[in-house]
Amino acid sequence: MPPKPHRVLLDRVSGYADEAAAYMRRRKIARRPFARLYYANGRAADQDIDSKEGIALFAAADRLVEVAGNFRRRRT
Amino acid sequence: MRLGRGSRLDIFAEMADAATATPTDGSAAAALAFLTEMSPDLRGAAILDGDAAVLAASGDDPEAWGEAARTLLAAADAADPEPAEQVHVGSESGEVFALRHEGLVAVAVTERFALASLMLFDMRQALRDLAIARRGEGGGDA
Repeated sequence: MPPKPHRVLLDRVSGYADEAAAYMRRRKIARRPFARLYYANGRAADQDIDSKEGIALFAAADRLVEVAGNFRRRRT
Repeated sequence: MRLGRGSRLDIFAEMADAATATPTDGSAAAALAFLTEMSPDLRGAAILDGDAAVLAASGDDPEAWGEAARTLLAAADAADPEPAEQVHVGSESGEVFALRHEGLVAVAVTERFALASLMLFDMRQALRDLAIARRGEGGGDA
């Protein structure tokens, strides 16, 4: 017996809502700031954003972005 | 300044590009032009020698690049007893890469979500070619 038409519609809408929620979750994870250091022996280390080292890395990176941002504005 | 025949940098040695507006070293400027050409997500970059002196940088303020790059490398080295070979920092405003290779340092700023592996590959290639060019000139410390 085929499902009632309104059930098909509800399933489709809830499917789209699930997809949108998953996209937002992935986007939130992808946009999270990070700082990673890689070493000669192949080791990699994530720096906590709230640690002393992480704060120093983000401050230095922000300064570089600022320097490059000025350059980009001049190019365009 | 002449570069060795067959070097990838030959192609870019004579290229007039705004990215190399402040060349302080001919072959480094060519390497920077190569990097700029290869990486569409690049906002700007700089190349430093082993003493963290700027060899070439985007724009007209190499010292600003040098100071910021030295601060980044110092912050990276403070995090671990072993010196970091690569640094990758991503934030809302963009992504920052730093790479040490053959006694040279490349620092680059890209758009958010740039492909890190490709970016680092291009930076490594630029530094490798630059190291070869400098060895050919006999004046490099790489």
